[in-house]
Amino acid sequence: MMVKTSTNIEEEIAAIFSGNTPWVTIVWDDPVNLMTYVTYVLMELFGYSREKAHELMMKVHTEGKAVVSTGSREEMEHDVAMLHEYGLWATLQRGDQAL
Amino acid sequence: MNGEKGFHRHGENSYIAEFAQSERDVLLNLIEQLIELLSERVDHGHEDPLAALVGITSHDSPPEDEVLRRLLPNAYADEVQASEFRRYTESTLRGKKQAHAMSMRMYLKSADDGIVDLDHDSANAWLGAINDMRLALGVRLNVQENTSDVLELLSPDDPLRGVYAVYTWLGWLQESLLSALMDE
Repeated sequence: MMVKTSTNIEEEIAAIFSGNTPWVTIVWDDPVNLMTYVTYVLMELFGYSREKAHELMMKVHTEGKAVVSTGSREEMEHDVAMLHEYGLWATLQRGDQAL
Repeated sequence: MNGEKGFHRHGENSYIAEFAQSERDVLLNLIEQLIELLSERVDHGHEDPLAALVGITSHDSPPEDEVLRRLLPNAYADEVQASEFRRYTESTLRGKKQAHAMSMRMYLKSADDGIVDLDHDSANAWLGAINDMRLALGVRLNVQENTSDVLELLSPDDPLRGVYAVYTWLGWLQESLLSALMDE
């Protein structure tokens, strides 16, 4: 179990009261999209290193889904729209909801 | 087919491939169909002209067509939130996907000698358009995780065998452009 520092807890409590609960963008596994393509799109759209993008792609491939970005609801709506533009299957949801 | 080499990198911001006339014809045909598929749904008389002007549409339900549902998927698992998001964004998404396909068409039509020379941005447009074609064909072919199953389920004279060949070729073309782009 991960031990959180008091700073993290304070930040999270502040986020709850200010309505700034983080949202997440999830990419779902798809049988058509090439693995190289998913990696490339994550590098291009999010500026991730090849290593990080490859790791996320493998998580999508093996576990069926992966959180690829975190932020405000507006930011995640923007990310999902970009992913849809390039044909990745993506959704957004509150970060405190079960995946 | 002539383009067995696919795309290769040529200098800093140039990705080149040579296409046979038959290959250009196949791609141009797919491009036209994709652009047509992505054109707006017509809602007779219900469109608010001002809302339409800023890209807000009166329809908010997912497309009935299975291919369109994959190209324009729900952004939320929750149906109400998905509908609200769709109302404000679907029209823009259709336009962006069409723009990818139109960029690809422009390059193919102006390639008199069959040679296409893309920069980074147009390469991304090609990747997006090729991927939308693969998604569309993949839905029709009912592609699952193991693609070899598709062929086994088709009878020897099923016309979908030809579609499957195009689907495979598009994957190969996309992979070759990705290799050229990611070649450091």
